[in-house]
Parts: sequence; C-alpha cells; structure tokens
Amino acid sequence: MMSTISNDKQFRDALNGLNAQQQRLVGALFVENVLGLSNDPRVAQSLVVAKGTDLAEDVVNLARRSIKAACLEAHTRCGADGEWTDQAGYFVARAAEACLEPEGRSQGKGAAWKAAMSARMARTCLAADSDEDAHDTESQAQYQILTSYLDA
Amino acid sequence: MSAPSVEKGIQAIKGQIDAPVASFFSACVHCGLCAEACLFYTETGDPKYTPINKVEPMRRIWEREYTLFGKAKAALGLSKEVDADTFAEWETLVYDGCTLCGRCSLVCPVGNDISGMIRKIREGFAAAGYAPEGLIGASTRAVEIGSPMGVKLPAVQAQIKHLQKNTGLDVPIDAKGAEYLVLLSSMEIMNFPEYLEAIARIMHQAGKSWTIASKAFEATNSGIQIGVSDIAKLLVSRVVDAADELGVKTVISPECGHAFTAIRWDGANLIGRPYGFEVKHILEVLDEFVKKGLIKTEGMEDAKLTYHDPCQIARKGGVVEQPRNLLNRIASNFVEMEDAGEMNWCCGGGGGVSANERADELKLTAFNRKKAQLEALGVDTLVTACANCRLTLEEGLEENNMDIPIVGLTEMLAEYLVEDDKEQA
Amino acid sequence: MDANELLAWARGSGFDIALTIFVAGMLLRLLEVLALGNKPDLSAPRGSGPKGGVQTLLSRNLPRKAVFDREPLRIINGYVLHIGFFIVLFLYGPHIVLFESFLGFGWPGLPSGVIDAVGAITILSLIAALVFRLNNKVIRFISTKDDYVAWAVTLLPLLTGYLTYNHLVASYTMMLALHLLSVELLLVVAPFTKLTHMFSFAMARWYQGYQAGRRGVES
Repeated sequence: MMSTISNDKQFRDALNGLNAQQQRLVGALFVENVLGLSNDPRVAQSLVVAKGTDLAEDVVNLARRSIKAACLEAHTRCGADGEWTDQAGYFVARAAEACLEPEGRSQGKGAAWKAAMSARMARTCLAADSDEDAHDTESQAQYQILTSYLDA
Repeated sequence: MSAPSVEKGIQAIKGQIDAPVASFFSACVHCGLCAEACLFYTETGDPKYTPINKVEPMRRIWEREYTLFGKAKAALGLSKEVDADTFAEWETLVYDGCTLCGRCSLVCPVGNDISGMIRKIREGFAAAGYAPEGLIGASTRAVEIGSPMGVKLPAVQAQIKHLQKNTGLDVPIDAKGAEYLVLLSSMEIMNFPEYLEAIARIMHQAGKSWTIASKAFEATNSGIQIGVSDIAKLLVSRVVDAADELGVKTVISPECGHAFTAIRWDGANLIGRPYGFEVKHILEVLDEFVKKGLIKTEGMEDAKLTYHDPCQIARKGGVVEQPRNLLNRIASNFVEMEDAGEMNWCCGGGGGVSANERADELKLTAFNRKKAQLEALGVDTLVTACANCRLTLEEGLEENNMDIPIVGLTEMLAEYLVEDDKEQA
Repeated sequence: MDANELLAWARGSGFDIALTIFVAGMLLRLLEVLALGNKPDLSAPRGSGPKGGVQTLLSRNLPRKAVFDREPLRIINGYVLHIGFFIVLFLYGPHIVLFESFLGFGWPGLPSGVIDAVGAITILSLIAALVFRLNNKVIRFISTKDDYVAWAVTLLPLLTGYLTYNHLVASYTMMLALHLLSVELLLVVAPFTKLTHMFSFAMARWYQGYQAGRRGVES
C-alpha cells in the first residue's frame, strides 16, 4: 500500500505503476475535480466513457471525436481577445482528451499525468486574471485523489 | 492608427512602390502560373485568387504615378480607377484569400515576389480602413496590452509558476546578461503551454543561460499581419529594447511563423538600424544544441509521421533542414509528404487568416490541399513547428474526420530528451 | 507608294525611327523602374545577395515540378514559343547580317530550311498560346488588351517572315516590306506593353534573388 503522496515525484511514480485502464480512470477523477471550470457537457460525457470498462470500440471512438471537437471549440482563436476563464475550459477539455487517448500515443507520458497537468493548468488559468493561486491546492487535491484511489 | 481614408490608402500604397515592385509589374506577362501555386486558387477554382490579381490596385497606382505612358493614359481618362469600390472588392483577396505563404513568389517565371507585394498592399488597405475586424482588434490589443490576445504578464507568471512547480525548473525573468532571450507567442501561452516547459527543460539540460523579458515576452507581430508598419515597428521595438537592455546574445523566436519573419527579417528595417544581437528560430537553436552535443536524445517514436513546413519558417525563413535533422533523431518512421520542404503547401491559416473570422470557410476549403497531401501519405502523427499551423491543421483535420494527432517539434524533442533527473522532492 | 518604295522606306527611315523609339522607350521604362530606388536590407544576412541574384536569374528558367505537373502543355508551349523566336531571330542568315552591320561582328547561323521549319512551329506555338489564353480561366481572367496586342505584334513578324521566305501571298518585295514594317511595329509598340519583360525579367529575378540570397532562402 502506498504511503501518503506529498510531492510530484511520488505522484508520478505511483501513476506509472497503473495500467492503461487505471490511468484513464484516475485521470478522469482529476478532471472531475476541475469540471466546474468548463461549461461544455461533452467533458462530463467523455469522462463516463473514460471510466467505463468493456466498452465497444466505436463508443470510445465517438467519445474521442466529441472531446477533440470540444477542445478545438474551446481554444482561443489566434488574435482574439483571450478570456482566461474560458481558456480554463479548454484545458479541462484537454485533460479529458488525455484520458481517452489511444494507447501508444502518450509518448512516454501516462494518460493520467497528462490529465493531471492539464487540470492544474486549468486551475492556473484563473490565476492569470487574479492573484488567487490555486495551483498548489490543485496538486494537493490530486495527491489526495490518487491516494484515496490506491487505498480503495 | 489615425482615421482611415481611401486617399490615405492610395498614398500608403504609393509609398510602398519601389524599384523591385516596379520591375515586377514591368516583367509580369500574365502567364497565370502563380495561380497554380496558390492554394486558395487550386482549392476554390476561382481565378480571382490568382496572386498577381490580388495586387491589381497597386499595379494601377504604379502605372498611373510612376510611368510616363501610364500618366498619359490617365490624362486621357484611359486608366482604371482605384477608389472605395476597389478597396471593398479586393479586401477579401488581400486578407482572407492570402496567407503570405510565398509559394507564388517562388514559381513566377520572371521572378516576381508577388507575396511581398501583397504584404505591401496591405499597408494601403489598412490605411484606407479595409482591414478585417479580427486583425484590427488583434493589433490594437497588441499595441495597448502587449499581446494580440490580451495576454498580460501576470498570466505568463502564473504559467511560469505552474511550470516551476511541475518540473522544479526555474524560468528566469529579466535576467541580465543571459545568453538567450526567449520570446513566446500568445497562441503558445494560451493554447500550448507545453512549449515553455519544453524550452525550460532543454535549456536546463544544455546548460545555457536564458531569460524571458517582462516587458517584451510577445513574439507575435500583428502589425505585419494587418500590414501597418508603424504597429509592426512598435511591437518589434519592444523586443529590441528589451534585448538591448538585458544584453542578450541571441533572441529566440518561438514556434510561430510570422513572428520569425517579423523579428528576423523585418525588424531591423522597421527600426532603421541593424540589431546588436542575433535572431534565431528555436529549431535552429535546437539543431545547434544537438550538433554540439549539448543535448542528447534517447529513444524513438515509431509511429509513422510526417512534418508540415510552416511557410514563414521553411520557405521564407530558410529553416528547412534543421527540423528534419531533429526529427530523424527521434523518429524511426518519418516520411515526407509530396512537395515537402521549400515548396510545401500552406496550412491555410497564416498571415492573419486564422484571426479573421470572416475567412473561416475559405480557410477550411484551402485546407483540402493539405488534406490531399496527408491522405496520400497515410500517417499516424503530424509534426509541425508553428502554433498557428497546429490549430489550423487541427481544425481542418477535425472538419474532415481525420484522426491524426498533431504535435509540436520542440515539445516532441523534449519528450526524448536525456535529462539528469533533478526533479525536486 | 509601290512595293519597292515601301521596302526602301522600311529599310531606311522606317527602321531608324522604329529602332530609336524602341531604344528610347525601353531605356525610359528601365529608368522609370530604377529611379524608384531600393532600400538596403538591414537584417543580418545569412548568405550572399549577389549569389542569390545570379542563381535566381538562372533558376527561374526552369519551372518547379509542382507547377509543371499542373500545366505541362502550356509551360512547354511557352518554351517552344520563346526558343523558336530566338532561333529565328538570331540564327537566320539575313538576320545575322543585319546584326553584324550594327555590332561589327556576326556568328554562324542555321540552314534556312531549318529556320523555316522552326518559324512554322513558332507560329503554331503562338496560336496555341492564344488558344490557351482564351480557354484557361485564370489567364483569361487576368488578361488585358495589352496581352492581345503584344501577341499580335509578336506574331506578325513571324508570319510575314514565313510568307516572305516561302514566296506566298504577295510579291517577294511586298512581303519583305510588310515583314520589315511588322518588325518596326513590334519595336515601336514593345516598350508600351508587357514585352518590356524582355529586359525587366532580369531585374525582377535579380531583385527577388538578391533578397533571397541574403536571407539564405530558396529562390
């Protein structure tokens, strides 16, 4: 049983110990923690698929396309007036997208780690406009989520 | 920008006509081959997108103002006018239907730099008040806020903090005497923050000193895109002043096409003096680092992939070999698309097109060219080195139900970087 | 005026006037270009401007594969047209004699029979060029009266030359007179049409090539 995770090295090591399916599930949990920063229903829908087991190939593919579209729509157009609160939604979508990434595309980085990073980035977006820095809080929350998952 | 008027537009165009431009108009034989190189023509089949046609208003002004024969024709009322209708009619040709990709300039048999002329004619359109809304907004924000997308320093600092906490690496700000000044494009800051992380890790590994400038972190030059040299000059000056103040040796332009053109080629001419520092594209720097053994990579991506050459970096920037050198180190199945390298086809979103909502549909139509290139290859991944290309390609792929992930080259290189493990506990 | 008088005039005053207008006109066009000046490029160079200029002067003689593949016939026809025209103009005995009278030296030519055949091919190529111009939607769109005038004044010397050599249509004297007059027409009209490209193409290639060479980019 893993002792409490208190830093990123331990966090990554623990994540690397998970198989692909587990990474998707844990990643989805990270995304759920920042779900409020996105108002695109496709994010929540994709998480259902990410957490699911024994799903048909086309169900997964459909979800992938849907979340990919969500990412694209959420990004800030070149030269447009960027709204960081909206941009947070972009990173939430990217976090969800990471959860559904096909195996072999992660280029050495696990799906869960990518989801975690994007989720933290989503939180960081809010700090762009204000002094509030919830980055650390988010990391801590993620350590907690992972620990709870492993202990379960 | 002062109040626009057609008269100002005409004067602006007049001011842009120099000996090269005059030689181009004198040499053009209306062969139409420029159209065959332009993706806006090839994918729409509409001859109005013929590159030399895009600068017809400039030709009229040149003939009338700078040739005896043309003056005589004008006196006799035999020459064509340039008026508000002309500007209105040509606006979409000059902005929506052109990314300044430069392919036309490369194929003209008599050697005309048509895309250079289109860049020049934009000065007139902007001065006349016929520039796309999106670009006007972007340039205004760039001037007033420091970023065309309204990215302010606190946002960059927040991202830096995020980076520092996740990697344990420091991102120096305003470090005097650093060897490299790193610029970022707003697109990267907002949509692809992995770029900065990759830079931090690579610089750290290479043991090079670097910094970001708090007063000039923005690389994107909206002035170039809209065609207002005053704005372009203002934006470049910020970078030049910061680079001079910090005493850096080299300024690194990020993975953004027109940012490179602006700082590498236009900048010195805009401010009227040579720089006291070098300017390199990030790919040039990475290639150097690898060649000198400052950074090493380990492992290879075995997915079948190809590289999209951003126009401003490859064709107009001369950075063609370097990305290939880098990719060959980390990709075992790298295949080239047809017309790869200097003659590669534009993504369709550069030169201000992606900032112009009105051009969305045209941009997607133009994408069919890239689509054809990719379909002929059948790859699993697409690599590129420009944040704008990246998003334009993603949108095009999505529209066409093509499932090909796109990755930035710098980011990809960082994935395979051999790092001394220094992550803080 | 009968054929002999016409020919005499065409050989004499007509030619002098036409040549003067041609030279003065072309010089004027070139000076009009140069007078506008060219600002020096202050960006740090990567390569050599002059080298790029020379390279581009040569490189544009050949089409890029990507464009050739799209319009092979039209491009090949362009070559036939130009090369044929030059062969007829510079490698035909009587023409060389004329050049020799101005330059003080001549050069070997090709047999007249060959020139005749090349001339015929060039005329066909010019007609093909017109057909292309009228049928290709891009060229048709960008064409102006200038293009058609230039076409006509280029065709006439070739056509009348061919007819003269082959003793067709009218008496030899008359045809020769018409041939010379058509050449004079070409000379007089050329500086005011896109035919200026015969000189300005070098300037255009040089200017773009110079900048490209300096920047170390393809051209």
